[in-house]
Amino acid sequence: MSTQASTQLKANQESNRNWQIGSRWFPFFLLLPSFVFIIIVTGFPLLYSLYVSFTPYELLKPNSLTFELPKALNNYSRLLNDSVFWKSLGNTVLFLTVTVNLEYFLALGLSQLLAQVTRGQAIMRTMLMIPMMFAPILVGFQFRWFFNSNLGLVNNALVSLGLIGEQTRIAWLVDEPLGMISIIIATIWMNLPVMTIILLAGTLSLPQETYEAADVDGASAWQKFRFITLPLLAPFTYIALTIRSLDVARAFDIVRIMTDGGPARRTELIWTYAGRLAIEDTKFGLGSAMSWITVIISVAFTIYLFRQLVKSRIVE
Amino acid sequence: MIASRVSPHRRRNAIIINGFAWLVLIALALPAVWIILTAFRSNAEINASPPVWIPREITLEAFGNMFGLNPNLQQRVAVEAYMFNSLFVALTSTVISVAAGTLAGYAFSRFHFRFHTAAFLALMLSRTVPGVALSLPLFLLFTRLGLTNNLFGLSFVYIAVNIPFAIWLMDGFFRQIPRDLTEAAYIDGCGYWSAFRRVDLPLALPGLATAAIFAFLASWNEFQIVSVLARNNASKTFPPGLFTFTEQFTIDWRGMCAMSVLMMIPAIIFVILTQRNLVRGLTFGAIKG
Amino acid sequence: MRKLTLILLITSLLAILSFGVLASAQDAEPQYAGLDKDLSGINIKMLTIGGGQYEAMYQSLPVFEEATGATVEIVTLLDGFEIDKKLIQDYATGAVDYDVAWNHTSFMSRYVGFVEPLNNYFTEEELAQFSPSIIESATIDGNLQLIPRHADISALHYRTDLYDDPDIQAKYKEATGMDLAVPTTLEEVDAQARFFHDNGYTKYGYGIVGKEEAVTGRFYEFLFASGGNYFDENWEPIFNNEIGVSVAELLRGWYADGIISEDTPNLVWDGDAANFCNGDVPIKLEWYGWYSYFQSPDSCPNVAGKFGLARGFSGFQNEGARPTGWAGAHAFSITSASQNKEAAAQLIKFLTSERIAYEEAQLGFLPVRDDVWNRIIADASASGVPLDQVRLEVARTQITEDFKTPPLIAEWIPFSNLFYPYLQAIMLGDVTAQAGLDAAAEEARQLLADAGYYDE
Repeated sequence: MSTQASTQLKANQESNRNWQIGSRWFPFFLLLPSFVFIIIVTGFPLLYSLYVSFTPYELLKPNSLTFELPKALNNYSRLLNDSVFWKSLGNTVLFLTVTVNLEYFLALGLSQLLAQVTRGQAIMRTMLMIPMMFAPILVGFQFRWFFNSNLGLVNNALVSLGLIGEQTRIAWLVDEPLGMISIIIATIWMNLPVMTIILLAGTLSLPQETYEAADVDGASAWQKFRFITLPLLAPFTYIALTIRSLDVARAFDIVRIMTDGGPARRTELIWTYAGRLAIEDTKFGLGSAMSWITVIISVAFTIYLFRQLVKSRIVE
Repeated sequence: MIASRVSPHRRRNAIIINGFAWLVLIALALPAVWIILTAFRSNAEINASPPVWIPREITLEAFGNMFGLNPNLQQRVAVEAYMFNSLFVALTSTVISVAAGTLAGYAFSRFHFRFHTAAFLALMLSRTVPGVALSLPLFLLFTRLGLTNNLFGLSFVYIAVNIPFAIWLMDGFFRQIPRDLTEAAYIDGCGYWSAFRRVDLPLALPGLATAAIFAFLASWNEFQIVSVLARNNASKTFPPGLFTFTEQFTIDWRGMCAMSVLMMIPAIIFVILTQRNLVRGLTFGAIKG
Repeated sequence: MRKLTLILLITSLLAILSFGVLASAQDAEPQYAGLDKDLSGINIKMLTIGGGQYEAMYQSLPVFEEATGATVEIVTLLDGFEIDKKLIQDYATGAVDYDVAWNHTSFMSRYVGFVEPLNNYFTEEELAQFSPSIIESATIDGNLQLIPRHADISALHYRTDLYDDPDIQAKYKEATGMDLAVPTTLEEVDAQARFFHDNGYTKYGYGIVGKEEAVTGRFYEFLFASGGNYFDENWEPIFNNEIGVSVAELLRGWYADGIISEDTPNLVWDGDAANFCNGDVPIKLEWYGWYSYFQSPDSCPNVAGKFGLARGFSGFQNEGARPTGWAGAHAFSITSASQNKEAAAQLIKFLTSERIAYEEAQLGFLPVRDDVWNRIIADASASGVPLDQVRLEVARTQITEDFKTPPLIAEWIPFSNLFYPYLQAIMLGDVTAQAGLDAAAEEARQLLADAGYYDE
């Protein structure tokens, strides 16, 4: 890459790194509203569920909300010895890893494609958002129907395209890797717009001069992508990755309706298991303990991603 | 956008790129098309096997049923209530969460202060709480406060839910804006607030638009929390409304899809209006020279 | 066609009412109840089930309001499983602000203590109007938990175009040496299901759900029909005995051989019924509630008019075998937290009165009152579709004699949630039937031990 372009790049990032403002109370007031909302809405539930996770609380037995120090860690030890818990944890990690990474690559490609489109970009951006406009529960119901082995669209389409025989009926929601694949497909379909829009907005806001300088140097499209776009997009990448990884709520509805963690726990995720334990089985203490374990894991994960994010802001 | 001098070579490339983009987007929209078509189908075609793509007859029955226009049907769906409640809650929570998130994102991106990292992480971690751990204690708290079945209570929760995302985004977008611009504003005599308002905020419009779209859609489609906090039609939004189409054994596909089509309309309008801002050009030429 | 049936129904109803004295021994008009007290100024709140036909009943509320001076406020309407979750949360957090709540014979065990014993509000005479088997099942420790609204039970649905076809009958006789008739034992069901599937008459041989409480209930049905049970009198799990294993192995065999849909482990009621509706299943147990759906050429052109209904079959021929009959009744209860219990009781009497129950029965729900049974059977005989009447007669027999609730433990749902994944694993072949059931039994025992069932 030419010196002109890379100097430009370095100049921007250096000026960012050396910035310091000493004011104390201005940022404080900027942060205040956010903290107020979040502390009220998540602070109490977090503390409450932490407390409950140390008790054998069951929803329809109000007398079970008793705290006894020797038994405080019972729920946690039970979970750590529960093979279903570990299976669901493994499934969740697998599910998240595959979904987020696959989404990232698809979103990256799609965002670059859309950034290059010359006409009708506005309409395309709106069309891109379409999968996000459906409630996750509807997406769950609909995709469960699509993947129905006997009457569903997918099998029927495959048969009419001649890809499978008339008699073959693939059990998308039952067979071992297919169940996971099906929920991943549904989740990615619904959430692809999120990452794509973030990366697209990031791409569209990249400084033009750097590209122009690179053009002057005769850089190819691939080189421009690899050495300018990708590094500059890194902060957006980590933002998008973190958001999606923590975005537990959206996947829960889809999975609960499509497979409800089954069959035989094949697609059991932490959230379906915890939700069932806490409400349907009324074992709220146990469910809370499980939620806290996921919180701790998410914390670790977020800190890791955050470090990556900070690193990406400093250029080597 | 990448500058393109219009030459035949470029034009051919443009056609290929545009065409390919359309192809991909249409493929992506196929399941959505199915959902929309289902809302207009006759009953006989809904469960037809093999499935029928192009409806042989278009009917507005499902919509009529939903609006109570069918005298034979006993059930009446409170569509107006859902529409009003959803709009109220989504718009309120979007405006306030994006505002709060923008302020906080600005603080993180531009200022160094003690516990900078800790505060950032704390706000992010609020998003790690799974819905199931959140909904019941929240229900407890809000019942004591009398905020259940209350649009303000629901909006309050959604604001808190959407803020971390807004902060993440706006922080990222603000960092893309070179500090020199803000510094130039300070030199010109602007205070912190007016520098923010006059320089940084307008340049971060794409970020605002993005955050607004996501916040709106997240609130619009949210189910877990509202199903716990809103029990009567006066405060229910659309997603729990979708469940009225599931009876004990059957699912009224047509009804559900019809309601989803209805749900899409305000969402599309909002997105169209907002996403124009996704491409406001950043005038980097402002400080050159 | 439907309109014609409706006209015939109404005409015959009018005819019957006009000549009521000659036609039957009871009053000509179906009666309301619960309208005799003055409840002016009282606002009664109700949390009840909604969706589709369930809501027709609520159209009559103005009659109650006018006659008693009370107002009725429906707090919310939810579908079956959502409403259970809502009630759990409300009962648990004490956020109960309604007087009348939905209840159900399968769920009532967990609400014990949160609902008012109804023996205090209904006289012996009033209770006698309801099906005794249901009232009996609903009485826990001497306290009546609910008043039933309507019931559902599964009948054996079979394809008449297959069973009445002489060629198929001949072929069956040839293949098995037995006559092709509506099956009365599980062995016969197995033979016939396999016959229809193997010879290509239908895609599958039988239809059954495969997850959640649905499959736990269906397995239970085969179990008790074969003389087995989930638990014995001391609540020890016994479903891993030979009877349980034989049923589990039957399901496993069906799945492996394609007799039931490959999607079975992910099917609940709607997916399962869709397969029958599409014509892919020759015989199955199915809820009566689906009748109008299956009979309508609009929704199920492949089976409308081509199926019959029969009493449930017996299980494997062990000692204690009896017909299937897993059943449930939707019902009403008064919440313990209610401030208007008398008024609530009056409302329940109204909603379960002969007249309202009769109106609901006309929509296809199965009654729980003798007087209403008589009426709708009489109506059906005039409809011109013989199956309409046969259906009700079979249903009446089943409700009266075969009605069986799941084990009345508060832990029914938690038990189901731990059990069905094992059953699915067995079906899929991940574990053997014995191993899977043994593991499930151990966990079940732990569950009940934790809940104090084995304490002395």
